[in-house]
Amino acid sequence: MIPLRGSRVSRRALLASAAGAAVGLPWLEAFAPRHAAAAVAIPKRFVVMFAPNGLVPAWTPSGSERDFELSPILAPLAPYQSDLVVIRGLYQEGGGGDGHQNGMGGMLTGATLNAGPFGGQQAPPAGWASGPSVDQRIADVIGGETKLRSLELGVQVGEADNWGRMCYRAADQPLPPEDDPAAVYARVFAELHTDPAILAAERARQKSILDAVSGEYTRIAQSLGSADKQRLDAHLDAVRDIELRLTRGGNVTGAHCSDPVVPALDHDDNDAFPDVGALQIDLLSMAFACDITRVASLQWSRSVSQTRFTWLGIDEAHHDLSHLGDDDAVAQDKLSRIEGWYASQLATLIAKLKAIPEGDGSVLDNTIIVFCNELAKGNTHSRQDAGYVLAGRGGGALETGRFLRYDGNTPHNGLLISLLNAMDVPDQKFGNPEWSSGPLSGLV
Amino acid sequence: MGPRKLAAFGWAALGGACLVACASSSAPDRQGEPAGAASVPICSAGDGLGAAPLRRLTRFEYGRTLAELVGADPSVANALPPDEKSLGFDGMANAYSVSTLHASKYLEVAEGVASTLVADGARLAAFANCDPGADDACVEPFVRAFGRRAYRRTLTSEEVASMLALYAATATPDAAAGVRAVITAMLQAPQFLYRPEPALDAQEWGTALASRLSFLIVGAAPDADLLGAAEAGDLDDPAGLLTQADRLLASPRAGETFAHFVNEWWELETLPSVQKDQSLYRTWTKATPGELALETRAFIDAAWSGTPSLGTLLGAPVTYVDRTLAAFYGLAPVASDGFVAVALDPTRAAGLLTQGSFLAVHAKANQTSPVHRGKFVREKLLCDPPSPPPPDIVVRPPTVDPRLSTRERFAAHTANPKCTGCHAMMDPIGFLFENYDAVGRWRDMDGGQPVDASGSLDGTDVDGALDGVPSLAKRLLESEQVRECVARQWFRYAFGRDATTSADTCTVGALASELARTRGDLRAVIRATVEQELFRSQRPAEVAP
Repeated sequence: MIPLRGSRVSRRALLASAAGAAVGLPWLEAFAPRHAAAAVAIPKRFVVMFAPNGLVPAWTPSGSERDFELSPILAPLAPYQSDLVVIRGLYQEGGGGDGHQNGMGGMLTGATLNAGPFGGQQAPPAGWASGPSVDQRIADVIGGETKLRSLELGVQVGEADNWGRMCYRAADQPLPPEDDPAAVYARVFAELHTDPAILAAERARQKSILDAVSGEYTRIAQSLGSADKQRLDAHLDAVRDIELRLTRGGNVTGAHCSDPVVPALDHDDNDAFPDVGALQIDLLSMAFACDITRVASLQWSRSVSQTRFTWLGIDEAHHDLSHLGDDDAVAQDKLSRIEGWYASQLATLIAKLKAIPEGDGSVLDNTIIVFCNELAKGNTHSRQDAGYVLAGRGGGALETGRFLRYDGNTPHNGLLISLLNAMDVPDQKFGNPEWSSGPLSGLV
Repeated sequence: MGPRKLAAFGWAALGGACLVACASSSAPDRQGEPAGAASVPICSAGDGLGAAPLRRLTRFEYGRTLAELVGADPSVANALPPDEKSLGFDGMANAYSVSTLHASKYLEVAEGVASTLVADGARLAAFANCDPGADDACVEPFVRAFGRRAYRRTLTSEEVASMLALYAATATPDAAAGVRAVITAMLQAPQFLYRPEPALDAQEWGTALASRLSFLIVGAAPDADLLGAAEAGDLDDPAGLLTQADRLLASPRAGETFAHFVNEWWELETLPSVQKDQSLYRTWTKATPGELALETRAFIDAAWSGTPSLGTLLGAPVTYVDRTLAAFYGLAPVASDGFVAVALDPTRAAGLLTQGSFLAVHAKANQTSPVHRGKFVREKLLCDPPSPPPPDIVVRPPTVDPRLSTRERFAAHTANPKCTGCHAMMDPIGFLFENYDAVGRWRDMDGGQPVDASGSLDGTDVDGALDGVPSLAKRLLESEQVRECVARQWFRYAFGRDATTSADTCTVGALASELARTRGDLRAVIRATVEQELFRSQRPAEVAP
């Protein structure tokens, strides 16, 4: 049974059930022995974590590849330095739309935005990205065994437009992140509390329903012109995704799988930003521990984010601040503290994954986290000399404890290809062919 | 059409007088009918109507439709991913996307709604006058009756068979579970979530028109009366369509939908997330955006209950406040509970343009924004969007310096030749608002100096020097360009796309003429929309061969 969200009463009931269920996990034990008995290969996992509005110059570490010192901004990551690859100096490719739009759209796709309905600055209106994002390409290959192919989480992302979308299933198919932790909990974890026999019956019933729904989409699509038909075909694909999820069973497994606690909060309130993020990190980590998905993303706000970091004593809106000049010491200090706060959130995610034992190490060892930003520099909208942090070893595919400095103009498509390769996707091209010439030298 | 109230509010004459005066100088509409003529201007585009795109229910429409269909709380729609907005509107057919998350949420809401409905025996039985959960013989009548409301037309035999097959597969051992499954499926079907229309079929066109009419005017699916009228062929002629349009326009649901349109047009939907620097604006609290939204809603509702004219929206020196907002604005205390109408100084106040909702949205957290206020007027009232800044400019608002006025701090825009061109289109309009601070309160001083609220309109059909918002409102109400723009904004909302083809722009022209003819009456424009050939006859693209 899926609790209905929306009305106050049912929402409260949902939260109550979430809190109550945290005490015990009545059905979870039923899965554990099966998992223990089977010799399951250790899976690889992939996470994107996004923070907006560009980086200040002081972000960059100093030193050489294997002997480097993190900047004060990245200092929260110091305990995990040996788990990181810090990268600076790629050109984050993208095109179509304004600087923020094409930065956001190209960041994970290495592709341009198609023409479309969203009017930006300095450019004709742009639409969605013209190809899939790297996480989705990875999900094509490793997403088939889990209940969810991928899990997109957001923190106050808000409106639906191309400033707020980074993950694309395919060209023109943006994946909206879910901003409400309680809704994520209900969608992803509520089944933990359902009697397996009831759950099986419920799945069979839902499958019959979705079969019937699919039939309607097929029938109506046949009566439409080609453009409209494409719309319904895309919807039909989405319905079939859910059907597939039901037939896969998606039993929750994992010795360290436990039930996240989701307290009630106003997830849209600016000052709740850190709390919402902490909950989403918990949910993401637990989705991995329970093997509900192996591909996830966490999107903090959106490109042109106007979050006010009041909890850091900063009242100005982030994007307004990001436009102040490099010579404005007060602004640079505030931006450094904001970027440092985001780095500390990455540190939290790393710590959570490191705390889940797996094989001889931890889930982090079998994961790659990519921390990225839609711009290299906020006050010029430049995408030249972009910075990234990778964390985790991807099951040994990635050698960590390194700082890689590039020339500022190396297309970041190489990074995306290297990430695919590290995740056992052998593609040698990704995104716009013009920017795509094999993996990034020196990374994998 | 009955005689119009010329001045439900005394200030309606403000717009009215000007519009009459300007009528002689305005261009004749596309039918060669001068403004002020007796009949509704209609654009007849003949064969060149183009294809109507497939529309999906917006969250607004989805919530309202479920509320009317099964009594759900319209806020169930908030579980869905947000609608894509383009040009400010949420129903644009070229903007919406679909994902697995969408499909899961549609499933989730449908499950919840179906469970609630099945548990409500009386409501369930009302569809076919029998209980499908208790009586097998009732299942098919229920599928037909519920389906007719959900799909907004009579079901085909295939559609009935498909739902009966689903019932058969899910009704054992619990018949109610089968009914629940049928409802859950229908509420995810494209016939419910989308608005497919027949490209050729004449039989089904009546019910397709009923849906168009209903979503246009009341933001929800047709009610039983409208469906009945459509199936009886009443909508096939313009008079029958207008009869239903007038019935819907008289319902409170039409006012709610009008308010939704105005909120999107005036960019007020971001109000709930607006934040201000509370060290500078001490009366601003977390509750203020909600209060300001209620003020504007009361104002729009009052306009709708009289004559919702452009003159009222842009010019009325009146607003609605409760005790809290009266204190916020520094107005005389309000004696009674709730929101009451208060007359404002006509030399200061001008409708929505001087309400806190609009002024706070179009300002920074710590200062006013002549740029944003000017840009709004340019984009949303004049439809002449300024060109964006050149790529090598570092865009940033000037730092607040207590010794300087806003005007002085924005002087760089006129000093730097790269900025001058476009900012000359925005700043001189935005400066007219300088008597209103970043939260929408009146101020006489700015940066230790008396406020200078002089400015100008340039590059429009009503150019000239101005001083303060009321002078701007008065001038805008004289403008043919503004009427064209308002008609275009409404067109975008109504048709779910921008006006691009000659049939589209011709229709915008007819609606602008109707605005002129009726002294700015937006209800008349909604009504006139229904009479346009584009509305009545534009079909979707045919099936690809």
